[in-house]
Amino acid sequence: MTEVTTTDNDESQLVARLRDPSTCRKAFEEVIARYGEPLYWQIRRMVQCHEDADDLLQNTFLKAWSSIDNFRGDAKLSTWLYKIAINESLSHIERERKRPNVSMDDEDSHLLHAIESDTHIDGNELALQLRKAIALLPEKQRLVFNMRYYDDMKYEQMSEILGTSVGALKASYHLAVKKIEQYFHDND
Amino acid sequence: MENHDILSKINRQSGMTVPDGYFHDFQQRMSAKLPQQDWEKPVTAPVKRSRWQIIRPYVYMAAMFAGIWCMMNMFDILRPASSLDIAENPTLMSAIDNDAFYYNYCVADMPDTEIYDDLYEQGFNPDDIEF
Repeated sequence: MTEVTTTDNDESQLVARLRDPSTCRKAFEEVIARYGEPLYWQIRRMVQCHEDADDLLQNTFLKAWSSIDNFRGDAKLSTWLYKIAINESLSHIERERKRPNVSMDDEDSHLLHAIESDTHIDGNELALQLRKAIALLPEKQRLVFNMRYYDDMKYEQMSEILGTSVGALKASYHLAVKKIEQYFHDND
Repeated sequence: MENHDILSKINRQSGMTVPDGYFHDFQQRMSAKLPQQDWEKPVTAPVKRSRWQIIRPYVYMAAMFAGIWCMMNMFDILRPASSLDIAENPTLMSAIDNDAFYYNYCVADMPDTEIYDDLYEQGFNPDDIEF
């Protein structure tokens, strides 16, 4: 997990530079350097495949760059970027589901297939099993679990990104953990 | 395996890796792909036009009209002088003096009523005609 440690002062300075046309590009390059890795892992855990994650990360930054004028600074920069990244990831998963070679009976089969064919792995069998267990979770629970478990994200920030109440997010995480434990129990 | 502590055993390791140097190169690759925004394009100051550039279209237009006027005059000079006055045109005078030409080409085109009117005005009497 990669943590982004920014103070409010850092962020407000960065946002101010993003709003200034003369410093915007340099500031955005700093945004890429700062948020590239955490966004990558968020996307990668959603789509599983490195190549897809790389494409989606680039799309995320391109979309953020093209709509930088619309970023008013009302929300945190990271929240705005996570929203774009998650939307990109969900759109990608939806496109993959609609592909003719993906069985409609098993919507997550493409994710399991992506995990099994992934070449960028460290050989940790337990971690591989966890990826499969997460892939079988419903979409919302998968998102919540990834954000909470891997990124240690606060429920309040998750609520801003996903537009769901904190209570509902806690319930989703609890259910996700139970299902994962059940998966390991069944495959033990 | 104890299921309840499975997540703590994995210790938040996703088991996923990236190619060597991926994050190191990403910023440069990504920065190079960012398209130029409209407000980044250099503002070009409006070029100040010289007096000649301002009046040039009007000069060209005046020259064009002057050329047309000259051309019309030149054609007028080259055209042979001709007059519609019959008295000054020997060809027409000799044609009119020729009775055969006059009756064949001028009188023949006249309607009969006009010929009769002329004859009657000159004192023509049909009874005077001997058959």
